[in-house]
Amino acid sequence: MRTWQRGRSLGDRLLLAAVVALAVVWLAPIIWVVGLSFKPNEVLMHSTGGILTPPFTLKNYVDILAASSVFGWMLNSTIVAFGQTILTLLIASLAGYGFARTNFPGRNALFVLVLAALAVPEQAIIVPLHTMFAAADLHNTYTALIVPRLAFPFGVLLMTQYFRAIPPEIEEAALLDRASRLKVFFRIVLPLSIPAQATLGIYTFLHAWNDYFWPLVSATKPAMYTLTVGLASMQTNFAQTEGIGFLMAQAVFAGLPVLILYLFFQRHIVSAVAGGPLK
Amino acid sequence: MFRRALLPLAALGALFATQALAQPKTEITFARFFGACEGDYGTSQDVAKARGECGVMTTLVNLFNATNKDNIVVKPQIIEWGPYYQQLNARIAAKDIPTIAVMHAAQLGDYTRYVEELDGVLKEAGIDAADFTPNARNAVTVGGKIYAMPWDTHSWLWHFNVGLFKQAGLVDAQGQPLVPKSAEELMAHAKQMKEKTGKPYIIMATSGAGDFANGARGYYSWLYDQGGSIFPNGYEKADFHTPASLAAFGVFEQLAKNDYITKGLDGSGGLGGFMNGIGAVYMTGTWRIDDFLAASAKPGGALSEGYTTRIFPNLFKNQAVWTDNHSWVLPKGGSTTPAARKAALVFLKFLWDHNFDWARGGGHLPSRQSLMADYAKLPLRQYVVDIPSFGRALPHEVRRQFGFQNMIGEEVANIVNAGKTAAQAADAAQERSVALLRGR
Repeated sequence: MRTWQRGRSLGDRLLLAAVVALAVVWLAPIIWVVGLSFKPNEVLMHSTGGILTPPFTLKNYVDILAASSVFGWMLNSTIVAFGQTILTLLIASLAGYGFARTNFPGRNALFVLVLAALAVPEQAIIVPLHTMFAAADLHNTYTALIVPRLAFPFGVLLMTQYFRAIPPEIEEAALLDRASRLKVFFRIVLPLSIPAQATLGIYTFLHAWNDYFWPLVSATKPAMYTLTVGLASMQTNFAQTEGIGFLMAQAVFAGLPVLILYLFFQRHIVSAVAGGPLK
Repeated sequence: MFRRALLPLAALGALFATQALAQPKTEITFARFFGACEGDYGTSQDVAKARGECGVMTTLVNLFNATNKDNIVVKPQIIEWGPYYQQLNARIAAKDIPTIAVMHAAQLGDYTRYVEELDGVLKEAGIDAADFTPNARNAVTVGGKIYAMPWDTHSWLWHFNVGLFKQAGLVDAQGQPLVPKSAEELMAHAKQMKEKTGKPYIIMATSGAGDFANGARGYYSWLYDQGGSIFPNGYEKADFHTPASLAAFGVFEQLAKNDYITKGLDGSGGLGGFMNGIGAVYMTGTWRIDDFLAASAKPGGALSEGYTTRIFPNLFKNQAVWTDNHSWVLPKGGSTTPAARKAALVFLKFLWDHNFDWARGGGHLPSRQSLMADYAKLPLRQYVVDIPSFGRALPHEVRRQFGFQNMIGEEVANIVNAGKTAAQAADAAQERSVALLRGR
C-alpha cells in the first residue's frame, strides 16, 4: 500500500513538474509581450532582449489611451461580443434541441446541410455576405457586425450532441404532464445544458472579441470600429520594426478585458472545460 | 422695457444665424494608412517639428482643419496598412466611398476604373503638373492620363556601417565606403568583409511576412540595372527565365551560398542587427536615414564610427532602382456634393504646398521637382536625390503588383534561407505567376 502511494506520489510529482514546465513554456511569450509593452520603442529598435532591465516606460499605454476613440471601440467590441454570444447561444440551443428531440420532414437532410456548412471557409462567403449587407445598407451598424456570425454550425452541432446525451425520460415526465415543448426546453433541458452553454459561450465570445476581417470590411467608419480594427489602425507602416513596444501594449490592452472576464468567471469556465460539454 | 431687452438679443441671434449660413461646414473624408498618433501629435500644428509619416500626416490635417478659410473639416479614416486595399475595395463595392484616399502607384493600375482622372482637376486646384518629377509623373500616369496627385517617391538604398567598412579596408581616400560596381566586385568585397571582420556583408530581413518586399525590391533593382523586365513579351505572361532575371536571382544565390548575407532575420532583427553592428550593409528604404543618423550620433554605438547611405548599387549596365510612390486619388463617388468636391481640391492643394514637409519628416523623396534642391540639403540626401530621374517600377498594365512583389520576395527568401538555386527560384516564380495573372 505504502509502495503504491509512494509510486503514485512520484507520478504526481512528475506530472506536476511536467505541468509546471508546460505552464512556463506557455507563459514565457506572454511575459515577454507584457515586458516589451513597458519598454521604449527606440530601445526596442536596437534590441528586443532585456525586458527586465531599465529603461521602462508607460508611454505605449498612454499613447493607446490618448486615442480619442479607444473607449468607443471597446464599447463596440463589448456590444458585438455579448450580442453575438447571447444570440448564438439562443439560436444554437434551439436548433440543437430541434435536431436532437423533434421529428420533422427533412430533419436529417437539414442536419447534414448544417454539418456541410462547417466545411465552408469564411473567405468563400465574404464577398456575397458583404454585397448583401451593402444592398441592405447595413454596413457600419451593430446589426452588420453581429448577424453574420450567428449562423454558427459548430454551435448547432455541439448543442445537438449534448441534448442527445441527456436521457429523454427526464423530458417525458414533463411532456406527460402536458408541458409544451418550449416549456420543457426552457425549464428542464436548458438548465441541464449549462456546461455546454458555457463552452459554446466562451468560444463564441472569444471569437467575436478577436474577430478582425469582417469588422474591417463592414465597419469602415472610425466610430464603428471594434477594438481589434481600431487598435490596428493606429499602427504605423513600420510598426513591426519601430513600434514594437506599442504593438505589445496593444496586444495586452486588447486582451485585458477578456482576462478580467476570465478572473470573474474562472470557476465556471474551468468547470465547463473540465466537465466537457458531452458529459 | 421688454422690447428694449429683446432687441439686442434678436440682433445677436441674427448675427450668429448669418454667420452660420455664410460659412456652412463642409466635411470630407480622408482614407489613409500611416497610423494614428494622437498621443504625440493629437493637437500639434507645428509641421516643422513633426517626425515620421504618422506625425507629419496628423499634423498636416490638424493644421488644415485649424487654418483653412473655407470652413472645411477633414475627417481622417485611418486603417492599418496591411489590409488597407481590401477595405478600400469593400468600401467601393458598398458605395461607402472616401472623398480622398491614399494609393500606392503600384496599385493605381488596378483602380483606374474607380478613381477620377485628374488632368483638368489638378489645374482647377492650382496644382502644376509640370512640377512633377519624372518618376512621380510616371507613377500617376496611366494610358497618358493622370489619375492621382503624387505625394512622394520612395526607394531602396544601401545603408553602410562605415566603421566595419574601415575595419575591412573597403573605404576610399575620403573614408567613404567603396560601393561595388559589378557582381564580381560585390562578392570580392563581401569576402574581404567576412575575412577582416567575421561579419556578413549584407543584412536583409527575409523571414517575416512583411519582409518579403525586401528581397523583391533588390531583385527588381538588379533586374532594371540590366534593362530587364519580367514581362518581356507582353503582360499576359511573365518570364522569370530571362538572363537578366536569372542574374538578379543569381546575386542572392552567391551571397547566400558564401554566407555573405544574413539568414532567417525578420524586420525587427534586421533593423536591430544593423544598429548593433552584426553586418556591414543594411538593405532598406529611404525612410530609415534619419533613424540611422540618430543612432550614429550616439557615442559608443555600433554606428558611432560612421554611417552613410547610397542608392542601391548598379552591378550591371545602367543605373536603375526600384521605386514606388504614395499618391492621393479622388475615388469616383467620394465627393457627394459640389461643396465636398471643391473642399477636396482645396485640401489637395494644401497637401501639394506641404510636400516638402512630408519629404523632410516622412522620410521620402518629394514629388515636386522644384523642391529637389532644398531636399538635397537635408543630411545625406545628396546621395539619393537623383533617384527620381532613373527610378523604375512595374508598368501600370501589370495587375496585382503587390502579389508579384510578395511572390518574388518569397522566392528570394527561399534562396537566402532555404538554399534554393536561382534557377529553382525562377522556376517557382514562373509557375506562381500564372495564378497571379489568371483572370487578368
